[in-house]
Amino acid sequence: MDKLGQEWVSAAVDGETDLQTMAELAADTHSHNKWRNYHVIGDAMRGELPQTMALDLSASIAAAIELEPAIVSPQVSAPEVTVAPQQVAVNAGQSRVMPLFKQFGQYAIAATVAMFAIVGVQNFNQTADDAASPSPVLITRPLVGSASPVSLQTGPVQQNQSYTNDQMNEQRRRINTYIQDHMLQQRLNTGAVVEDNSEVIPVPVNQ
Amino acid sequence: MRLILLALLALVFPAVAQEDMPAKVWLEKMSQALKEKEFKASIIQLQADHIRPLVYLHGKVNNQEVAFLEYLNGPPKNAVRVGNRVTFIEHDQPAYSILSNHIQGVWPAAFSSKMSDLEVGYQFVLGGRSRIAGRPGQMIRLLPNDEYRYGFQIWLDMDTYLPLRYDMLTQDKQLLEQLMVIELIELKEPPSILQEAYKQEWPAVIDQAERQDGQNWQFSWLPAGFSVVVRDHHRLIGSHEAVEYIALTDGLANISVYVARAGSTPLPEELITRNGLSLVSEKVGNAEVVAVGKVPTETLARIAKSLMLE
Repeated sequence: MDKLGQEWVSAAVDGETDLQTMAELAADTHSHNKWRNYHVIGDAMRGELPQTMALDLSASIAAAIELEPAIVSPQVSAPEVTVAPQQVAVNAGQSRVMPLFKQFGQYAIAATVAMFAIVGVQNFNQTADDAASPSPVLITRPLVGSASPVSLQTGPVQQNQSYTNDQMNEQRRRINTYIQDHMLQQRLNTGAVVEDNSEVIPVPVNQ
Repeated sequence: MRLILLALLALVFPAVAQEDMPAKVWLEKMSQALKEKEFKASIIQLQADHIRPLVYLHGKVNNQEVAFLEYLNGPPKNAVRVGNRVTFIEHDQPAYSILSNHIQGVWPAAFSSKMSDLEVGYQFVLGGRSRIAGRPGQMIRLLPNDEYRYGFQIWLDMDTYLPLRYDMLTQDKQLLEQLMVIELIELKEPPSILQEAYKQEWPAVIDQAERQDGQNWQFSWLPAGFSVVVRDHHRLIGSHEAVEYIALTDGLANISVYVARAGSTPLPEELITRNGLSLVSEKVGNAEVVAVGKVPTETLARIAKSLMLE
């Protein structure tokens, strides 16, 4: 876990981890030194080193925080959490209270699969006018040679008179959920294929 | 001097044997190479206006296949495969593992499995030769046998038989997606990162027992070669809408079919994203059939229409 762990510490310093990872980190006292070092390095690089260096910052901050009332908001920013282990314990308790966001079973793992699928979905509604073209205007243009910079913008959506903006958004949201789910299934289904291959007889479809 | 000799060796010797090798044998050698070889490939993936650089490493540690995939741009996103387990390590969620013998996101899973499975839907045709990633490459076309799926072109390294490039094309030869190796390094032994990955303890495989069997949906028509891989019912990620789900595949193209209660806002009847992913919806009474996949919309529409409950 060491290499992975180091990356986590580094990511945490930059505030890029989630609560659960933070809690794991906080439990690992070995990482605390690294945490401090990364911050000191970061400060040094930005030329923000204090005149006198308090050598164990995290300990003194932890002590200071212990005197403060517990923070109730679940939206704790990354630095606060890891600096004080006690604080984390509190937060871990809270995150048990708010698993509202976590209770989708296997689908909680999906968030990132989906991210890029949503991008660039062009949504067209067939109207009487363009019924002539069977598949509504495709933007499948060749890729080679058009190496434009990576952009994460959704393409312009052709407005249809009969839909309000809200309906358009709702429709786009629904399209996205289907596409996201399809992308996630591609990951999960490869597992199913593995099981299939290991069986001599084709998988019984349904009992 | 050594380089020249090597180049000669690489060009002359295999060329003699390779001259009359049928396309299918090339593909079988590719499938074997993807499983056996130890290599590092730097790859770019083109999809619509997006370019994604990635690195793929593959090797064998203690007779187990170990592979590592890293996306080089944007937030860290990695996948590690040890044997039959693939672990995704992503920036915004705890790492999780699934059971799979293939990291989804690089070469299609079909590239490293049995080629004869693909023969129902595609015809293998030997193409020309060209230079890719500084290596001589042999092109193989996978021509769709019907108009229900897209075609593919694969370039194979003539030396290692590893894939150097793959294009996904519409019937009128428009490029939908491309994966191209820009540097391929063959290794003598598994790189240290794979050896580390092998020793590392990865999260346990997530329990997919929650996948309950779905209803017994049947299709009165499916394009040749397509079969049902998975069926279940689950809730969609974002909206938690309950859906009946069926996954279809012909080896290369994957299609998801959903049956759900029709929403208040109708979905468009047809839609195509710029990377070739299509979506078709059809209203049946107060239910809605939605089909998603990288195939022509006509295919999805026909599949959606042919769905029935037994």
